[in-house]
Amino acid sequence: MAEVTLRNISKSFGPQVALADVSMTVPDGSFVVLLGPTGAGKTTTLRMISGLDRPDSGTILVDGTDVGAHSPAERNMAMVFQQYSLYPHLSVHDNLAFPLKSPMLRTPRDEIARKVAEVAEILQISHKLDNKATELSGGEMQRVSIGRALVRDPQIYLMDEPLSSLDAKLRSDLRIELKRIQASMGATLLYVTHDQIEAMTMATHIGVLDEGRLVQFGPPREIYENPVSIYAASRLGSPKINILPADLFPGAPAGAAHIGLRPEHIRLGEGIEARVKRVEHLGDQTRLHLTINNHDLITLTDPHTTDKPGDTVKITPQTPLCFDAGGDRIK
Amino acid sequence: MSGTPIDRLARATPPSLARRVRGLSDRAIAWLFVGPSIVLLLAVNIFPLIWTINLSFTNFKANRLRDVEYIGLRNYQRILTDSGTWESMQATAHFLFWTIFFQVLIGFALAYLINKKFKGNNLWTTIIVLPMMLSPAVVGNFWTFLYQPQIGLFNYVVEFFSGVDASSFSMIGSTHLAPWAIVIVDTWMWTPFVMLICLAGLRSIPDSIYEAAECDRASKWRQFWTLTVPMVLPFLMLAVLFRGIENFKMFDLVVQLTGGGPGSLTTLTSIDLKREAFEKWRTGYASAYAVILFVTVFGLASIYVKALNKVKER
Repeated sequence: MAEVTLRNISKSFGPQVALADVSMTVPDGSFVVLLGPTGAGKTTTLRMISGLDRPDSGTILVDGTDVGAHSPAERNMAMVFQQYSLYPHLSVHDNLAFPLKSPMLRTPRDEIARKVAEVAEILQISHKLDNKATELSGGEMQRVSIGRALVRDPQIYLMDEPLSSLDAKLRSDLRIELKRIQASMGATLLYVTHDQIEAMTMATHIGVLDEGRLVQFGPPREIYENPVSIYAASRLGSPKINILPADLFPGAPAGAAHIGLRPEHIRLGEGIEARVKRVEHLGDQTRLHLTINNHDLITLTDPHTTDKPGDTVKITPQTPLCFDAGGDRIK
Repeated sequence: MSGTPIDRLARATPPSLARRVRGLSDRAIAWLFVGPSIVLLLAVNIFPLIWTINLSFTNFKANRLRDVEYIGLRNYQRILTDSGTWESMQATAHFLFWTIFFQVLIGFALAYLINKKFKGNNLWTTIIVLPMMLSPAVVGNFWTFLYQPQIGLFNYVVEFFSGVDASSFSMIGSTHLAPWAIVIVDTWMWTPFVMLICLAGLRSIPDSIYEAAECDRASKWRQFWTLTVPMVLPFLMLAVLFRGIENFKMFDLVVQLTGGGPGSLTTLTSIDLKREAFEKWRTGYASAYAVILFVTVFGLASIYVKALNKVKER
């Protein structure tokens, strides 16, 4: 396993800027999640690192060596594609064994059999090994695609939304499983998603991408508690952070245009009056939809609350996050 | 306005037509649509086939309508023991095998090259496909000129590259070269067809498959043999089926080119059959011949289609 460093990577597709001057280091043995909406440059970053696409400028280092001139095969990186990219004429078993049969590896036959069986077991596809790759459901194809990466022992695993077409139960199983595999192998893993739960639960580091720029990079808790901008703050947290005009509450610092309130920043019981619009009972938590002077916000309350729509509650912000007019954080 | 949709439709239809249509059941209308095709099929396909089988057991001659007798399997016996028949079968087999061999090889290679993204590959596709669009009779005719020992371009090109004197050999006249002369022309004309089908196969493979293979550290060589070839194979086999059936029936091109000569060296079964039927007027004999050919090509094609389906399922 290796450390991967990006230095000032830029890439455009015609007039479309996919990546603008991205620099980051994926430390050896870390689980890095790239977070951002569609078009933020997440997949492009993976393709640059894998060598399938070349950056317009900038360098990519693997353990300190510039790999700019290396082919994908020479870089020895395992990639899980969002669209699966299975070999349709091969069986599940042969799909999983395909990377091991590379002449660059010379894996003995019993070793191949053992690894394929092991990975199939983890991904719960053992009973489908003899199926053709086209005779699978979307979720099964996705698991085969993950398996095709896991059978290998590459420099780094690159995964492009690998859990997106799985059902909720399997997704949470595999989240734990992937994290366990990565931790036990000490593998370096770069993972693309727009699912904040995946990011929060698995990542050792999160990179937040916005229109090709890396806006923040750091451990999940740091990005959650200490976001650099409204954009970064909005990536994490459920319910989403409430962004409100700074003058709605007294005591905003000078220069602040917006304040960001997560549920834990809102104390119920005293302060400004807010009207209850809706109450959502989710079982373990209850979401309160409030409105103050036509500004909506969502917060959490006691699961057994008796509040009803139309009631009035009082709220006070506590150590809120403050942002300037451009959306950047004021400390 | 009121009533069911059918009533409304009836009102909107001219009275005479409505009167005629209203009396018909759905079933009758269905038959009305299918009927003409079935009649046509029976008249020009099924009936002639049955009649041919019937004639194959007689000594009927189309230019002498009297004294027709049923002679059992004697026509079949004579055909299968006739050395001339077997010679034309051999000529056909030679023609079939080598045309398909070269067309698959060259057709696939061309498709592979055209599929690489380069400037003007559409123009090249058009140019390559041109021979296929010509009439076989015309192609046969102008290749007789290309094959001319004195003035023919083909002989000149051979001389240019190999140094063999152009006037020292005749592609059509020589007993060694004539079977190859027809193979060359058919390959020239129909390789584009195989290429087009292979191209369709190659284009059906998404780039992402190769990207995955690239990441899985498969060499270009391994990608070609374990991904490209197996995925194009069903298409290739289809092309072989089409070309095989077509060339089993080959007539016009070869008649124009060699007329079946020299001797009977390039007399393919279809040419032989036409002579028996319409030059010697041995209609019963020719019918039996036609039945034998039909069974042969039908049998081979059936076996082949089974194999094709197996490849597709794999």
